Amino acid sequence: MRLPVVKNQESVHSSASSCGDGCTCSGGANPYTGSTRPGMTRRSFLRRGAAVTGGLAALAASLSPLRDLDGDDIPSVQKFLQKHYKEMSGEEMEEALARIRKEVEKRYDVRPDIRDFKPMDGVEFVYGLNLSRCIGCRKCVHACVAENNQSRDPEIQYIRVLEMPRGSVDIEDGDHSYDRATVPDENHYYMPIQCHQCANPPCVKVCPVEATWQEDDGITVIDYDWCIGCRYCEAACPYWARRFNFAKPTLPKADLNPNMAYLSNRPREKGVMEKCHFCLQRTRQGRLPACLEVCPTGARKFGNILDPQSEVSQILKTKRVFVLKADVGTLPRFFYYFDERDPISDIPLEASSEHAGESA
Amino acid sequence: MGVGSASQSFSATWGAPLGGLLIGPAFLALAAVMWFGSLEIITPGAPTPLFDKSALTPGGLRPRMDEPPTSLIGGYNQRCNDCHQVFTSRFDPSRPPSQHTHIHFDHGINDSCTNCHARKNRERLILRDGVEIPFNEVATLCQQCHGPVYRDWKRGTHGKTMGSWQMGSPAQRRLVCTECHDPHAPTYAPMVPLPGPNTLHMGERAEVVHQKPERNPLRRWTTPARDADPHPINEEHN
Repeated sequence: MRLPVVKNQESVHSSASSCGDGCTCSGGANPYTGSTRPGMTRRSFLRRGAAVTGGLAALAASLSPLRDLDGDDIPSVQKFLQKHYKEMSGEEMEEALARIRKEVEKRYDVRPDIRDFKPMDGVEFVYGLNLSRCIGCRKCVHACVAENNQSRDPEIQYIRVLEMPRGSVDIEDGDHSYDRATVPDENHYYMPIQCHQCANPPCVKVCPVEATWQEDDGITVIDYDWCIGCRYCEAACPYWARRFNFAKPTLPKADLNPNMAYLSNRPREKGVMEKCHFCLQRTRQGRLPACLEVCPTGARKFGNILDPQSEVSQILKTKRVFVLKADVGTLPRFFYYFDERDPISDIPLEASSEHAGESA
Repeated sequence: MGVGSASQSFSATWGAPLGGLLIGPAFLALAAVMWFGSLEIITPGAPTPLFDKSALTPGGLRPRMDEPPTSLIGGYNQRCNDCHQVFTSRFDPSRPPSQHTHIHFDHGINDSCTNCHARKNRERLILRDGVEIPFNEVATLCQQCHGPVYRDWKRGTHGKTMGSWQMGSPAQRRLVCTECHDPHAPTYAPMVPLPGPNTLHMGERAEVVHQKPERNPLRRWTTPARDADPHPINEEHN
């Protein structure tokens, strides 16, 4: 291999030395190809040049997204080497929390109170929602955003309030972008949907990296540092409960909620999934979810299903509850129910007959 | 010569002389129309107006009333009996009341003050059997007519609980009837809904500190509306 290379160099050298000004490279060179190299014609030179130029351009283009790299987008060594949530020891978790604390403080100028809350013994959380009482005011949506540090721009909301035509429980008929001067509308009822914390969660099954799992108290959580953003879980969820950070989440510094947990409302990064986690930073301390406490009608009920005295146990005992898409076998922990007599549908007889006349 | 023969073959093939020369510009024009036209379509409208954050205050809609309220009359806080032991008053539901005009009264067939307020002692409530109860036991009064709702409230399936989900926890507090319902007009008034999922335009714009807007994959949508935008993206961080 060495000898031909040397020969080539010599021949190139000799042709260069033999060329003068205004050289057409005829002396000693191939008069037809303009090249002194054996096998290197002008055509092949151009072809190779084009290939090399094109290749370099393609390489540069493929690397050009690196220009968008923000210093903060590059994970620190500590974050890169961080273990899976379940494999972290106590000290390692403390280190991770200290790192997150530092990052949040740098980004939002707020020192967060971030902790890792473990499930409580003998507790399994269940949510009940009284569709007779919900009036579709969307306060739960915005209280959730304020509590859980979701991105404001682009928007991420965990709760979707569907406006449903009366007489239908087919959520395909629902409309979540209703825009009315006042609610409730007498011909509709309202059905908020969020993560149902299924006992048989399809989103957990499809995760290729086990970044999401079900905890002992029934809450399905996500390790945001382990998620690779493949969005399989989003596709698997029959309730449209999972949200993806397509862009870097942004929220005003003043609106950051500093009470955080590792598995719930700490700030997320671009390219990870998130979803409702029953406000575990609150509920694992005995408090109630933010969506419930802001609800003006008391349509939302939350509690421990293993406690027979709890409100949700009473609901399951005394109300006719149903779950969404029961046929897909996800066993949700989110139960809807109506009261025996629906107060909103208490339309006077004249009004209802008028309406019937209109539609006829 | 060559062009002529080409156009002849074109006219033979396409029936349009020199049509081939027009195809390129036509495509370019079409591309331009589609490009600029598409920009027109996805230019966002005005941002949704902000909502009042006080709408997100947790709790009931009304203050808890364990004691009868006082009225500011003549510069003094007067208790109910300060007047009602002097003046007797009747309430005729067919006419508007001469006093307490701020009360909007709409409670169905329950249309008389003294159905609930004790005639002799206006600082107490009265049950149907004549037993007077203090204001903080209002649920006992309401349950005389609203039996099923009261049953549900006792069970915890109606009404609102604040503080904690742990039964028996000192932090837990179940709101009473009048913390949500106006006893004089108990039906909920219609509410103004908070803004819906209007993608990328909810509330005030965040400080875009670490993001370069021109490289944001969503830049077309985040680009402010043409004329005036009250919340421009912070350009100085680029």
